[in-house]
Amino acid sequence: MTGFDQGYSRRTFLRLTGALGTTAALGGVVAACNVVGSGAKTTGTFNWMTWGDHWIQTQLDKIAKDVNISTNISELSGNAEGYAKLKEVKGQLDKMSADAMWVPNAYFKDGLVEPFDINSLKVSSQLYSFAREFPYWQAAGGGYMAYPFGWSPIMIYYDPAKVTGNPTDWQVLLDPKYKGRIVVENQPEEIVAYMARAAGIDKPYDLTDDQLTTVKGYLEKLKPNVLKFAQQATDSVAAMVSGEAWLITGNIGNEDRVKDGGGPEIKGYVPSEGTVGWHDGEMIVKEGANKSLILPFLEQSQQAELIAENFLVNGRPLFNEKAYKILTDQGKKDQADRYLYGKAGDVLPKVVLKGPGTSTDKSIKLFNDIFGGG
Amino acid sequence: MTAEVVGGVETAPSTVVSRGRMARLRELAPFVPAGLLLGVLFFAPLAVMLVFSFWQTNANLDIVPTWTLDNYATFFQTSAYLRTLAKTVIMGGAVTAICLVVAFAIAYFLARYVSRRWARIALLVVIVPFWSSYLLRVYSWQAILGEKGALNQLLMGLGLISEPSRLFVYNDIGTFIVLTYVYLPFAILVLYASLERFDYTQLTAAQDLGASPSRAFRHVLLPQIRPGLITAAIFVFIPILGEFLTPSMVGGASGLLIANLIQTFFKNALVPQGAALGFLIVAFVTVLLIIFRRYLRVEDVYARG
Repeated sequence: MTGFDQGYSRRTFLRLTGALGTTAALGGVVAACNVVGSGAKTTGTFNWMTWGDHWIQTQLDKIAKDVNISTNISELSGNAEGYAKLKEVKGQLDKMSADAMWVPNAYFKDGLVEPFDINSLKVSSQLYSFAREFPYWQAAGGGYMAYPFGWSPIMIYYDPAKVTGNPTDWQVLLDPKYKGRIVVENQPEEIVAYMARAAGIDKPYDLTDDQLTTVKGYLEKLKPNVLKFAQQATDSVAAMVSGEAWLITGNIGNEDRVKDGGGPEIKGYVPSEGTVGWHDGEMIVKEGANKSLILPFLEQSQQAELIAENFLVNGRPLFNEKAYKILTDQGKKDQADRYLYGKAGDVLPKVVLKGPGTSTDKSIKLFNDIFGGG
Repeated sequence: MTAEVVGGVETAPSTVVSRGRMARLRELAPFVPAGLLLGVLFFAPLAVMLVFSFWQTNANLDIVPTWTLDNYATFFQTSAYLRTLAKTVIMGGAVTAICLVVAFAIAYFLARYVSRRWARIALLVVIVPFWSSYLLRVYSWQAILGEKGALNQLLMGLGLISEPSRLFVYNDIGTFIVLTYVYLPFAILVLYASLERFDYTQLTAAQDLGASPSRAFRHVLLPQIRPGLITAAIFVFIPILGEFLTPSMVGGASGLLIANLIQTFFKNALVPQGAALGFLIVAFVTVLLIIFRRYLRVEDVYARG
């Protein structure tokens, strides 16, 4: 028997671990108290839940240096998840990103975010004017619910060397010729929604039982063609680069991403039956302990130079008009135009914007029903 | 010291009793932080999820405290969930079986034929993959098994296939290969611990007494390492029931397991539905553990020390 196994040593060990555990727990409580105890301020750190393409490191570093505002970022993987998270943690987050109809129909409706006077921000004059006037982001009591950032329709991309006939619609995804050659992003409600668009349904987030039955038929045809669900956009691009995928769905800009990755020249289009899409923005969390930092941060972070830089890194259209001019001056006009930068006013009215619908539950069950069970 | 008399019966003095209780409490005190952590971080959330599984979600995706069994009923009424659970159990069983066979061979070789020093180095090699992240390891398998992956290149280089095969990834085979890779080290470590303690002269003795090698193996070795085998099986099989990363990365659209369906619910803020499905898996695992425990005979482990 070793000394460790003896009663005295064991008791000592337990006491020690007990003391360590208590210390750790107390440390956690103290840290939590510090977070809760912080009050309104003009410099400091705030908590932001957002997608990875809403910021670039140089932007954050510059703001931290210039105005002493920094941010703790937590990754946002989807609207529903973010919405559920904010309802749980409320004041622990100060700023939240969300897509079009999620802003009024979920966050604002639940009183989780507070509108602000967008025109009070000097930087807002750099936006396309329509972006300051989305009717569904106007709060009844005054103010704008979110600061507009970027947008995109969900498009189909294909490798013309493998996919014949210059497709223009969603039906190509259902063609048995492409068995195991399609990669779609792992967004079940969106997949159900664009298959609903393929079926000619106008409200793909508010499906009736009959419409769900119709969409089920489309999903059954889609399933054998889907190679995998991409966990993030880069997975779709990688599949196209490697040649594993011949068709992918995704946001604007995948032609360049695939080419930059060493893949083939691919083509993209907005399906003729119509599509779903998004435009997103930044909201101020009503109970955010550091919400006083958000407007000063927006004033800095949304400056055209930084937005143009973000565009070049992440490649999708944004709402900052001055940034488009900077890109033009930099000789990047072709790229910006290819990404439909500045065409939001024309394109967005033609897409069904992402938002919480009445059929979310049934859409998810339908997705699981089709794709579960092998 | 004076004894107290209650109802004509002499009892221990109250001070002695309370001193005994105090001593007992002092002994338990070190467990309080661990108990609190376990209670607050494990049992309390589990209890909350259990309650949620009987509630509903409204159109706003809020969880509303309206009691219902619908979330559970959906599982039994939807063939896709039952098929996916069955597929998950079969996948778990197949991976466990191959892990036990391969791990036994490796552990037996290390325990019987390799010096302790070299065996430890070999075991270190076994656990080296754990030094990198799970995600990274699964991503590497995409690169190995993919159409342009290392395996296809090798097979083409050897002239065994003329064009890249799509057989190895984005299907159940891919999931099987990667899960086996991920869980094999657990099985090796557990079985090595059992086999290292076994006295191999017993096998020789059994054969001296007329037993064939296979009979000696079945009747002498296997019964003595049974706790190790069952522990290894538990370590492999049960985590696979909750696996969602590997199937989503290398299983493809047709390779989803039950945890992927649960994740879909949670990802879309349908917590009660996801919680109900999750608790059905918990119930299934609990039943399995009860069954396994009966065969495990924990006292065997303690008896051998």
